[in-house]
Amino acid sequence: MQQSGNAERQAGRRTILKAAGASLAVAGLGATATACGGGSGSGDGTVTIRYSWWGAEDRAERINKTIALFEKKYPKIKVKTDFQPYTDFWKKFNTQASGGNPPDVFQNAIGFLRKYDAKNVLLDLSGQVEAGNLSMDGFRAGLEKFGEIDGKLLGVPVGSNSMALVIDKPVYTRAGIKPEQGWTWDDFDEAMTKVRDRTGRAGDSGMYGVMYLYDLYLRQNGKAFFTEDGLGFTEADLTTWWTRAEKGVKSGLFADPKKVAQIKPKSALSAELAGSEFTWDNFTVRYTSEGKSEYGLAPIPTTDGKRTGQYLGSLMLSAYKRTQHPKEVARFIDFMVHDPEVAKIMGYDRGVPTTQTQYDAYRPTDPVNKAIAAYEESLVEAGVLERITPHPNGADICEAAFLRIAEEMALGSRSVEEAVKQFFTESKTALAG
Amino acid sequence: MSAQATDVTPVTDAPPPRSTRAAVLRRGLPGSLAWHLGSLAILAVILYPVLWVIGGSFKESGDIVGSLDLFPGDPITDNYTSLADGIADISISTFFVNSLFLAVGSVIGIVVSCSLTAYAFAKIRFAGRNLLFTLMIGTLLLPYHVLLIPQYVLFRNLDMINTYTPLLLGKYLATEAFFVFLMVQFMRNLPRELDEAARLDGCGHFRIYWSIVLPLCRPALITSAIFTFINSWNDFMGPLIYLNEPGKYTISLGLKMFVDQEGLANYGGMIAMSLVALLPVLAFFLAFQRYLIDGMATSGLKG
Amino acid sequence: MGSAVTHAPATEARTDTGPRHGPEKAPRPAGPKQRGRRENLAGYLFMSPWIAGFLLLTAGPMAASLYFAFTDYNLFDAPRWIGLDNFSEMFGDPRWRHSVRITLWYVVVGTPIKLIAALGVALLLAQKRRGQAFYRAAFYAPSLIGASVSVAIVWKAIFSDDAVVDRTQQLFGIDAGGWTGDPELIIYSLVALTVWQFGAPMVIFLAGLKQVPRELYEAADVDGAGKLRQFWNITLPMISPVLFFNVLLETIHSFQIFSSAYIVGGGAGGNACGPADGTMVYTCYLYVQGFENSRMGLASAMAWMLLVAVALVTAVLFWSQKRWVHYEEGGR
Repeated sequence: MQQSGNAERQAGRRTILKAAGASLAVAGLGATATACGGGSGSGDGTVTIRYSWWGAEDRAERINKTIALFEKKYPKIKVKTDFQPYTDFWKKFNTQASGGNPPDVFQNAIGFLRKYDAKNVLLDLSGQVEAGNLSMDGFRAGLEKFGEIDGKLLGVPVGSNSMALVIDKPVYTRAGIKPEQGWTWDDFDEAMTKVRDRTGRAGDSGMYGVMYLYDLYLRQNGKAFFTEDGLGFTEADLTTWWTRAEKGVKSGLFADPKKVAQIKPKSALSAELAGSEFTWDNFTVRYTSEGKSEYGLAPIPTTDGKRTGQYLGSLMLSAYKRTQHPKEVARFIDFMVHDPEVAKIMGYDRGVPTTQTQYDAYRPTDPVNKAIAAYEESLVEAGVLERITPHPNGADICEAAFLRIAEEMALGSRSVEEAVKQFFTESKTALAG
Repeated sequence: MSAQATDVTPVTDAPPPRSTRAAVLRRGLPGSLAWHLGSLAILAVILYPVLWVIGGSFKESGDIVGSLDLFPGDPITDNYTSLADGIADISISTFFVNSLFLAVGSVIGIVVSCSLTAYAFAKIRFAGRNLLFTLMIGTLLLPYHVLLIPQYVLFRNLDMINTYTPLLLGKYLATEAFFVFLMVQFMRNLPRELDEAARLDGCGHFRIYWSIVLPLCRPALITSAIFTFINSWNDFMGPLIYLNEPGKYTISLGLKMFVDQEGLANYGGMIAMSLVALLPVLAFFLAFQRYLIDGMATSGLKG
Repeated sequence: MGSAVTHAPATEARTDTGPRHGPEKAPRPAGPKQRGRRENLAGYLFMSPWIAGFLLLTAGPMAASLYFAFTDYNLFDAPRWIGLDNFSEMFGDPRWRHSVRITLWYVVVGTPIKLIAALGVALLLAQKRRGQAFYRAAFYAPSLIGASVSVAIVWKAIFSDDAVVDRTQQLFGIDAGGWTGDPELIIYSLVALTVWQFGAPMVIFLAGLKQVPRELYEAADVDGAGKLRQFWNITLPMISPVLFFNVLLETIHSFQIFSSAYIVGGGAGGNACGPADGTMVYTCYLYVQGFENSRMGLASAMAWMLLVAVALVTAVLFWSQKRWVHYEEGGR
C-alpha cells in the first residue's frame, strides 16, 4: 500500500488481524516446512543483497518468512534485512544514499520516486525486464505503469490500495446513514451532523490534514494537489477547504484535535472519538486489531455525483542505481511480486497484491480483508479509477507540512489565513530543492 | 523553614557537633514534626512517577493511564511476559547487551583518557598548559549541537555510520571536559609531598601517574565511571543519529521503537519495558549514591 | 574512601581555579632548561588523547560547521556557498521563531523554579535530622533518570487526558483535557519534568551551605537579626558562588533540551514534536531540519545561533557576577 506519510506516520502499524491470523499462520507453517533441509549455501559465488523497508513488527515477521522462501529457491543469493518506522526509514535511507551506501533493494512510495531519481539513486529496472530477470506481465488494473517516471521503471508495485472512508459500522447504523457510491459532499456533511447528533461522537477524525483526500477533492474539480513541478491549487482553494474544516472542528463535526493528538499513534476512529476517517482502504485491518468495533469501507464523496477522483496507489520495491548485483535484485523483486506463496504469507499487509497470480493465490476468508478486496473491485467496476497525480521532488515534505499545519489550524494555534500562507511558504521551499 | 539555615552542618555522616544537638533539643518537637512532614511531602511528589511506573507495569493496558490507584488490586504479569517476544524478532536482551557494551566501553575510555589528561593539567608544568586548560574549560560550556552535524558528516565520510565508533571515539579522546575537570580538581588536592618525593627518587611521570596518583584518585575515578555509565545508558540523541539497524540499537532506541511500533497494541508492555530499562541506573544509584552525590557536590556534574 | 571526595568542596567548582595555582612555583633543582623540555614532552604526551580529540572532534568540526552555515548542503551534492541565505531564511521562518520562543520560555520559566525548589529543599535538608541523608539521596535520584526515554514515556502518560494530573485539575473544576494534547500546555509538562530533577542543583547548594561559617549566624543571633534577615544577609551572599554556578549550568543545559521534548512531543515517527509544534524546542527543530529534511547547511546555521545565544548568556552571567557573587576574601 501506498501510505507514504500521514497514515503510516501516525501508525505504529500493527496489521495483524486476529481473524486472518490463523489462516496466515497455516500458510506460514507451510512455507517453513517446505523451506526445511536447505543448509546455508556456503559455496562460492554466493551473493548477499541488502533489503530495507518501513513498517511494523508484524510486517517484519512476514517478510522474513518470504525471504526464507526466496533463499530456498535461490541458494546463491543471501538477503540481509533491516527495517524502521516510516519517518526513521527515510531519514536513514537519505543518509545512506548520500553516503553511497543505500540498500540494494528497498520499499518505496510514489512521493519519493522523483526525489531520489533526481539524486541518481534509483535503478531503471527496464534493462532487467529486457534481460528477462524481472517480469512486468500479469499486473492488475494497469498497475505495471505505476512506478514509471519519464519512461524509466523506477519501482515495481507490490500492493495496491485506494483512499476510502473507513467507518465505524455500528455508529453509522445508529445514525441511520448508508453511504452509497456517488454521494456528495453535502450528503457527507449531513451524515457528519447526524453522527454527531445521534451518537454523541464526532463524525470524522480530521480529514482536513489528509493530503491524499484533498488531492481527490481537487481532482473532482479538475485540479490536483501537484503538477509535474509544483502545487496544483491556489491559496484561495486551500482557504476554502480549511475554513470549512475550522467550522467543522468548532461545531464538533470533526473530533477534538486535542484529544486526537493525545491518543496518537492510535487513530481517532479506533479510539472512538470519531465515527469515520478518510484513509487507505487496508487500514481497516489495523483498526480492527486496535479498536473494539466493526469497521467498514464507504465510498469517497463526490462533487458532481460521479467522479471520486480515485486511483489505485501502491507501495513499490525499488533498487539502488549502483548496486553490485542488479540481476539478483531483479530476481528478488520478481519473486516477491509473482510468487503465490509470498502472497499467502504477506496477505494484504502492504495492500492488495498487484499481480493476478498473487491476487488469486491469497483469497481472504475473514470479513475485513474480504471487504477490502470487494472495495477495490467495486472501484474497478464503477469505473471511477483515474490516472495518479504526479508527485514532484519534495512531495514528501509537502505532505508532512500539510498534515502538521492543518493540525495547528485545527488546534487554533494558527488562523486559517496564516496556515495557508505557511503551507505555501514551506512547500515552495520544499519543491524548489 | 528557610530560617533554620543556622543548623548547617557537614553533610558527611560524622556525628553532629554538640551545639547542633543542643539546637535540636531547643527546637523541640513541633519543628521536628514540620520538618518530617515537609520532607515526606516532597518525597511523595518525587517518588510518584517511579511508583506509577512500577504499579502500571502490573496493570492491564487499558487501566494504566486512567486509573488513579497506584497499584492494581489484581496485579498481572502479562506485560512482562509479553516482553519475552522481543520486538520484530529482536529480543530485548539484545538492546541490553548493546547498551551495556557501549556503557562499559565508554567507562574504560573516560577513565583512561580523562585521567591522563587531568594528570598533565594537575601535575606537569609544560608550555601552553594554561592556554589548553582554558580551551578545555571552554568546551565545558560548548553546546553539543554545534558539533552534531559536522561530526556526523565526518563519520559519514569515514563510512562509520551504523557503527559504535562515533559513539565511543570521543570517550577515548577525553572530550568529556567535565570528567577531566573533576579529576584535575581532585589531583590538585592530593598531598604534594608524595609525588615530589617520588620525583626526587627519580620516578618518571608515568610511574607517578600509575603508582601514586591513580590509586589516590580512586574516588574521582569511580565517580566519573558511574556518571559515564549512566549518561551512556540514558543517551538517546547519539544512538538516534548514528545507529540504523535495529539489531544494533541501544535500550533507549529500542524503547522508542517499541513506542512507535507496539505503543498502542501493547501499552502495558511499553510501560514494563520502560521500567526494565531504568533498572540498571536505579541499581547503580542504590549501590553508589554516595559517590554520585559527593561527585555532584564537587563539581556540579550532571546526571 | 567515599569521604575523600568531600575534601574538594563545592566552591572549588568555580572555573577560575586555573592551573596556575599549582604548587610547582618553587624553583626546581638541576638543569632547569633540560628539565623544562622533558616536562613539555611529558605534558604533551599525556595530553595527546585530549589534543587529538580537541582537533578532530571539537575544533575541526566547529570550523566545518561555521563553513556549512553559509552553504546549501544536502549531503548528496557538495556544499554550495550561499552567503547569508540560511540566516535570512531562518529569521523569516515562523517555525524557527516559534522554536526560539518556546525554548526561551522553557528556560525562563523552568530554570528559576527548579533552582528555587533546589535551594528551598537544600535549606530544609541542611538541618541535621534523622533521615536527612536518605531524603537527600531520594531527592537526587530523579536527576539521574530524568533524561531517559523511560521517564519521558511515563511523563507523557501522567500528563495526558484523564490521567492523574488532569484528574487532579478536574477536582479544582478545571478541565484542560490533558496537557500533552494542548499546544500551549504541553511545554509546561516539560517544565515540570525539569523541576522534578531539582536534586542535582540541590546537592550543590547543600555542599555550599555547609561551607557557611556558623559564627556568622551566631553573631547575627546576638545582634537580634531575624531568620529572614540572616538568610538574606548571610546565607545568600555566602552561597552566591554556588548559586552562580548553578544558574550558569542549569541555563546552559536548559537551552539544549532534546530527548524529553522529542519523546513527550513525538507521537509516532517523530516528525511532529507535540501537537502544533508544542514541544518543537530549538534542538528538535535543528534535528528536523538537519536529519529529516537533509538541510545540513541550514541546521549548521541554527547551531551557530544557539552557540551565540549560549555564549551571550554566559557572558552576561559572568559580567553580572561582579555585582552579586561574593567570593571569600583571601580564600584562594
